[in-house]
Amino acid sequence: MKILIVEDEVELLVAISNYLTKETYICELAENYAKAEDKLASYEYDIILLDITLPDGNGLTLIDRIRRLQKNAAIIIISAKNSLDDRILGLDQGADDYITKPFYLSELNSRIKAVLRRRQFDGTHLVTFNEITIDTESRSVTVKGNTLIVTKKEYDLLLYFLINRNRVLTKEAIAEHLWEDNIGSADSFDFIYTHLNNLRRKIRMAGGADYVKTLYGMGYKFSGQ
Amino acid sequence: MRFLTKINRNYLVPMLTVLFILSGAGYFVLRVISNYGARERLLSTEYLVGRQIRERGTVPSLYPLIEVRQTENEPEIVPSFKKVTIRNEIEGENEEFLEYTSKVNISGSWYLLKIRQSTIENEDLVLILAFTLLLLLAAALTISYFSTHRLNRTVWSGFEKNLHAIEEYSLRINQEISLQKTGIEEFEKLNAIIAGFTEKIRSDYTMLKEFTENASHEIQTPLSVALLNLEEILQEDINEEVFKKVVIAINSLKRLTALNQNLILLTRIENRQFETVAEININRMIHSKKEELSLLIEAKGLEFIVHEQGDFNVRMNEFLAEILIGNLLSNAVTHNIPKGSINILIRQDFLRICNTGESHSLTNDNIFNRFVSSRPKSSGIGLAIVRQICDTHHLDVEYTKGDLHCFILKPKR
Repeated sequence: MKILIVEDEVELLVAISNYLTKETYICELAENYAKAEDKLASYEYDIILLDITLPDGNGLTLIDRIRRLQKNAAIIIISAKNSLDDRILGLDQGADDYITKPFYLSELNSRIKAVLRRRQFDGTHLVTFNEITIDTESRSVTVKGNTLIVTKKEYDLLLYFLINRNRVLTKEAIAEHLWEDNIGSADSFDFIYTHLNNLRRKIRMAGGADYVKTLYGMGYKFSGQ
Repeated sequence: MRFLTKINRNYLVPMLTVLFILSGAGYFVLRVISNYGARERLLSTEYLVGRQIRERGTVPSLYPLIEVRQTENEPEIVPSFKKVTIRNEIEGENEEFLEYTSKVNISGSWYLLKIRQSTIENEDLVLILAFTLLLLLAAALTISYFSTHRLNRTVWSGFEKNLHAIEEYSLRINQEISLQKTGIEEFEKLNAIIAGFTEKIRSDYTMLKEFTENASHEIQTPLSVALLNLEEILQEDINEEVFKKVVIAINSLKRLTALNQNLILLTRIENRQFETVAEININRMIHSKKEELSLLIEAKGLEFIVHEQGDFNVRMNEFLAEILIGNLLSNAVTHNIPKGSINILIRQDFLRICNTGESHSLTNDNIFNRFVSSRPKSSGIGLAIVRQICDTHHLDVEYTKGDLHCFILKPKR
């Protein structure tokens, strides 16, 4: 998978690209509008991460160019602007998704995967980990061939874990992914336990292994090792 | 008082006073002059009478104007003037006369002379004077009245139109103020000052708006960099102590992020940058926000009751309405006690949200202030946003506490 990252903050650019490279994506970097235009003219990309605020141009106008040059590329807008107008404008222009700074890398990964699945770049809508399989089209989970009956939150949680396998996820990151902004006022994120324990129990009952590791009461890691 | 009325009053009052004083003085001067003339004429008549007696030897008599009497001895009088009233037999009424009494000695005989002159013509003169004066004053007042009207229609109309333009001017339209040319130096000067002034305010306003947007970008980018790097440290093989420190750092930075976003939101509301409005049903908003918060409500084991006795509709921006109701509800959840309750009453133009909670020292006067909170963990900005939204949407929000903590939302009276 080839990704073009357009972001004017070099430190952010490097941090994102390091992470995505580890996730086996091929990353190309552009720190301004002109460079992004050049790259778009010469190479094909599967995904374009686009910061709207660039020093030499508006990222929104770049969407137009991308749509003309590379019809199949998925676009995810990255911006500090949390304004509703920009979000709607970006999506109207043909962006696939929108993520606001600051974000968790695990969240970015989950958005990229979701966009790719929607565009069927993987050629499949199945996410598999050992005996666990998630069908993102029918939104169903099977463990060793047995269909698991899960709630919406449990499904989202499991998918998030599978996408971000082998990665340390804090309770806050999980809560933000599942409940977005509405969780900001929570005193503690202990309620995640309830959903997680129910999910673990269901997988165990279906004959699956427990892959979730608790880390010092502050985070989790979904891992086969 | 209108400018012209003021000018007129300031101008007319002294003018009328001076006119009155001058006419009064003129009246007296005229009286003195005419009196003097009358005396001259009486003296000259006396001389003519004396000459006729001396040269012709006849004694003239023309009552009541000339009255001559021969006396044996020298009359014991001093020649003098006085006013007398004599009955006019023809007209049958009394007439005022100025009388000069004197004595002459002609060829050894003494004569007593009484020469008179009617003062009626003097009185007529004074009357004419008074009448002319009245006409003058009336003319001055009428001219001033009509010229004020004319000035209002011509000279001042431009000024009044510009006043209206200034009154109607709104920064949000982001246009230069359009002022009419008046062709009057002073007004043109004023227009130039106002135009410069509004231009300055407009550019400041735009700068402030841009600052708000830039601040968001500038602060959140370094926050992002810090957060991404901390998240990557978590992935390394680190011990529990370091792990916990990193998580605490991440969570603190996330709180800073939320605070920054809220402050920017507050500025944007203050700058009235949410202009699209729609008819919002508060009942619907309460239900949808309750759904979003259901997880927290369940986690705390709260009882959530909604009484709907009517519909509360407000014209406002949908996004702001969500924040308004969201903040009030999450406030009721966050500051609640475990197994507590939230009671909501909705009537027409009325919303009351009551919740159980621990007692604190905050009151209606300070609970909506920025950075004021009863708990150390919350930033104290949520209710400040609530009040800012209310202030910009003709809504009133009020906090009362008794057994329950209640917030009441209703349209401003």
